[in-house]
Amino acid sequence: MSRGTLSLERLNPLTTLTGAAAVAVITTAAGHWAFSLTVLGGLLALTARQARAAAVLRAAAAILLPFWTALLFMHGLFFPEGRTVLAELGPAAVTREGLLFALDAGLRTGVFVVAFLLFSFTVRVPELLTVLSARGLPPRLGFVVVSALTLLPAAADRIRRIRAAQEARGLVIGRSLASRLLAARLQAVPLVLSLVHESGERAQALDARGFSGRQPHTSLRTVPDSAPQWAARRVLLVLSLAAVAVRVALALFGGRA
Amino acid sequence: MASPSPQQPSLLLPEAPKRRRFLEILGAASIIVTYVVLVLTQPADIAAGPGSLAALAAMGGFLLGAVLLVVAVLPTLPTSTVVLIPIAMVLNIVLGQFVGSTLVPFYLDAIGTVLVAVLAGPAAGAATGALSSIVWSLFNPTVLPFAAGAALIGWLAGLAARAGVFRRFYLVPFAGFLAGVLGGVVSAPIAAFVFGGTSGLATGAIVSAFRAMGDSLLAAITKQALISDPADKAIVFAVAALLVYALPRRASFQFPFVRRYRVLAGREPQGREPAARA
Repeated sequence: MSRGTLSLERLNPLTTLTGAAAVAVITTAAGHWAFSLTVLGGLLALTARQARAAAVLRAAAAILLPFWTALLFMHGLFFPEGRTVLAELGPAAVTREGLLFALDAGLRTGVFVVAFLLFSFTVRVPELLTVLSARGLPPRLGFVVVSALTLLPAAADRIRRIRAAQEARGLVIGRSLASRLLAARLQAVPLVLSLVHESGERAQALDARGFSGRQPHTSLRTVPDSAPQWAARRVLLVLSLAAVAVRVALALFGGRA
Repeated sequence: MASPSPQQPSLLLPEAPKRRRFLEILGAASIIVTYVVLVLTQPADIAAGPGSLAALAAMGGFLLGAVLLVVAVLPTLPTSTVVLIPIAMVLNIVLGQFVGSTLVPFYLDAIGTVLVAVLAGPAAGAATGALSSIVWSLFNPTVLPFAAGAALIGWLAGLAARAGVFRRFYLVPFAGFLAGVLGGVVSAPIAAFVFGGTSGLATGAIVSAFRAMGDSLLAAITKQALISDPADKAIVFAVAALLVYALPRRASFQFPFVRRYRVLAGREPQGREPAARA
């Protein structure tokens, strides 16, 4: 899976999670579009070195393109706080401040989205949950998260099969709203029914295997970690706290929130 | 499925209710304090750019509150509820992702959360809402800061179920409407301060209309949320209610919350008699 020397998949999940959070916090605290743009460029360069670069970029584009369009429309045309009017279009006015606001907010969200997608597309979820459970998060959290991630593709496949079965029984989805609602009901009810039915069986099986036990759980999985990664996490944490502290100080004494 | 799974807390294993209660209160307080601080200290002049302190406070305070609630509530839930949470999350994501990409100013991303809240109570609803946002954020990180709002919807749906709202279907959309008002008000500062606007084109158009009338960004997004969210949650509550009514009674009555607070109309099925409503 891994490619190149900068593959994030080899790192401890806590390191990539701390990295993503630190990048988001520092960029937000910096609050300047040029800084956000530089960080976004760096993140994209890092993404290009990953094996799942295409998937990360596709997911980021699916989230960011509609968001950026909405921001541009919202602040580019209607920004009552704007003072430098660049163009008047009836009730709308393109202002320099509005465009800068859209650029600032858009790039900041871009950094947030790409940083966390880079984390989630390169992390091994079971390893992350092992690490988090070892640090005091409830072990049930692990079950819930992994179960949801496994159920997602299974549920999508089941919807497809339910639809095929209903179509075999004569379901025809027309263009009218009533027809669509009926079709949605005929697919949603069997899906929810079967999922809830299965969950009842799963509860019994889990309880029979000591799922509700409150004593510490032993993990068979060991997640590799190293001294440099431990140090990197501490550095990232200190940098994030310092960035927030500087921002608070500026707000208190310099008037910039 | 007919025989109930062991849902009573173990008599042999020690509980730590005080610590959990403390975490719950801390989580709720973190969400409330963050909201109050954001509204009181909102940047008056946004012409210089989106306020970064407000964004940090919104992101940190709401997320911390949601995580504390999950850590406090999850270990207290019976197994039958814990296994239901991933199903709710899947329903939220599958239905929410579909609607989120269309040009409708609704989200419909809480059907699963409300379903769990009706079957298992306010605490389970809140945990489901928060967890659902956290897992969904693996695919779409922008939903992460909204975890507290999702938890609030789950909690309110559970309270409505406990009060008996789901015994009469005509009351359900009204409860959803009220939950939507509160949820919208809590979520608006996140959209305004963390993201500088809403992500959907339809919701963006509504915000633009209010901005054209001279509203501040927070006021415009709050008004947009007060248009979209109550209607959205009224639909979500109604759909979740219809799904619960469609469940066989033995499936819905296996949950202690449903039996204890008589959440659904009609009597509890006895023994192995066939399901009344399938």
